Amino acid sequence: MAKYILKRVLQFIPVFIGVTIILFAMKAIVPGDPVKIITGGKQVTPETELQIRIANGLIETDEDGRPLYDENGDTIPTPIWKQYLVYMSDLLQGDLGTSYTRNMQVSDILASKYPYTVRLAIVAICLEAVVGIGAGMISAIKKYSFWDVLVTLLTSILVAMPAFWLGMLLQLFFGVFLRNVTGEAFYLPISGAGGSHAEFQAWVYYILPAITLASVSTAYTARIMRSQLLEVMNQDYIRTAKAKGLSRRDVIVHHALKNALIPVVTYIGIDFGAMLAGAILTETVFNWPGVGYEIYRAVTQRDWPIVLGGVTVIVVVVMIINLLVDISYAFLDPRIRFGAPKDKE
Amino acid sequence: MTDKNTKLDQQAEVVEADSEQVEASKPSRTLWSDAWNRLRKNKLALIGAAWIIFVIVVAVTADLWAPQLLGSPTEIDSATVAANSKLPPSLEHPFGTDATGRDQLVRVIYGARISLAVGVVATLISTAIGLVMGGIAAYYGGIWDTIIMRLADMFLAIPYTLFVIVMLAVIGQGIQNVFIAIGILGWPSIARVFRSAILSVKENDYVDAARAMGASDLRIIARHIFPNSVASIVVYATMNIGGAILTESALSFLGMGVTPPTPSWGIMIQDGQKFLQTEPWLMILPGLAILTTVLAFTLLGDGLRDALDVKMKDA
Repeated sequence: MAKYILKRVLQFIPVFIGVTIILFAMKAIVPGDPVKIITGGKQVTPETELQIRIANGLIETDEDGRPLYDENGDTIPTPIWKQYLVYMSDLLQGDLGTSYTRNMQVSDILASKYPYTVRLAIVAICLEAVVGIGAGMISAIKKYSFWDVLVTLLTSILVAMPAFWLGMLLQLFFGVFLRNVTGEAFYLPISGAGGSHAEFQAWVYYILPAITLASVSTAYTARIMRSQLLEVMNQDYIRTAKAKGLSRRDVIVHHALKNALIPVVTYIGIDFGAMLAGAILTETVFNWPGVGYEIYRAVTQRDWPIVLGGVTVIVVVVMIINLLVDISYAFLDPRIRFGAPKDKE
Repeated sequence: MTDKNTKLDQQAEVVEADSEQVEASKPSRTLWSDAWNRLRKNKLALIGAAWIIFVIVVAVTADLWAPQLLGSPTEIDSATVAANSKLPPSLEHPFGTDATGRDQLVRVIYGARISLAVGVVATLISTAIGLVMGGIAAYYGGIWDTIIMRLADMFLAIPYTLFVIVMLAVIGQGIQNVFIAIGILGWPSIARVFRSAILSVKENDYVDAARAMGASDLRIIARHIFPNSVASIVVYATMNIGGAILTESALSFLGMGVTPPTPSWGIMIQDGQKFLQTEPWLMILPGLAILTTVLAFTLLGDGLRDALDVKMKDA
């Protein structure tokens, strides 16, 4: 088991380095001078410009931080590979640099936004687990019934729907329509994450964004649950359990469910990682102050330190969650732990 | 040695020609005719296919009739803006008009061109890159397999929506760049599908037989492996078109995709968002266009999967 974990951790290192190189290369080829972004396009003195270039590591300096000059008396731009190495060594020390457009450390900005993304992800994943597994079980147990058809139909529609559009439909129904119909007696907030002057209790703000964020993956969870349970119910040991005279309920609860749930739990785990990556669309529609919306804002303003730092942190978070999922998968399914031949990919 | 090879190749050709004759003499029982027979019985898949054909015909022929009936999809008539702004659906404007007095239906029709173009072109790009990468990884294996699959891991490690947005920020907005961004970032999943399809075909005896008869790599890939894994590629590509349409709508909604005044369903939803409380149909109707079109591709994809008996990893 320890060997398996070590192997997986070691596999991450090249992927992580590759990802940072891809991102850094993208930043390098993007048009536009960082100084212009930092100053907001305002005219600045050459001294200030020099200071900005030094502070952001854009030109070569000596040990004391003074700029180096070539034979023509011009400053020397730092080669991109050197910028990358400096970035990586800062990164390993927890320094993600300073935002171009806000006078703040990238790590501080991310730290202030991440809690909103994490809390929304937790609410959404609970919703997904309960509704997805429940719907999938009903669908499988009552195969070809009205409920099965309904679940299949709804999951197909949810998967084909732009999630941001679903979010707006929810706003329209719960925020606008219900408000008009009930004479403002009952409705839900359609934007923001609460605050000191909020008119609702804080948790109410989570309802609509969480439904929106969970919608597509709840549909997938239900589908996987259905197909897994149907597959397991065809296995020999289930027939044995039935032959022993167990009730259908006992067979499902004590025998079938355990095995059918393994891939479902894996899917939900990986999806949780994906949710922690920030939900740009959901956060934009609901004005949610999370990390996804922050990175999107940074992209539109070409604030590269936030983009680079944010995506790097997200990739690490997603990788860690995926690793935990893999480990628990190996733990739940002995066939992987003991290296028995897996099904062909 | 070469003599022997050509001889064997000739023999192989004769055998193949024979089998083709046998197949032709029977009342068409190929994989594709079998699949067609099964697909024909799948009502949902047929509805999906019919809707896709309808959308394609409307989008392709739009220039011939839509502007004449409903007005220009892009030009704003400044003289009548005030009178025509945000009219509710009526006989004259079945989908109503937007804030600048343009007919919504004609914009939805022209938006279909963007969505279909992005869906198809981006999928073609992803499929082309994915086939080459997946093919090399699976057929040559070893170090090639490791390098390509690790590269795929790196691309998949970056959350998709974020990656597309960053990519568009780098290469700039506009429809060509939307093709490129969605197309390039889609290759790893197709490469994985094709790779595993090849790996399962490669173990078959007829591939060994072909190799024993001295067939070249290219010939084995072209004559034996590709035809036997093409089913899974077709299914995957069909579903991928729907996914690319969704991505384009999200990008345009965020203002990072197609540039106005080009009508795109995502842009129309973004425009309509401002009037959610008062004129909700402005954002509902373009959303329905996305939903029905993507759903049609999903249904057709599901139908093809069942008809061609392709095993997919997830549900």
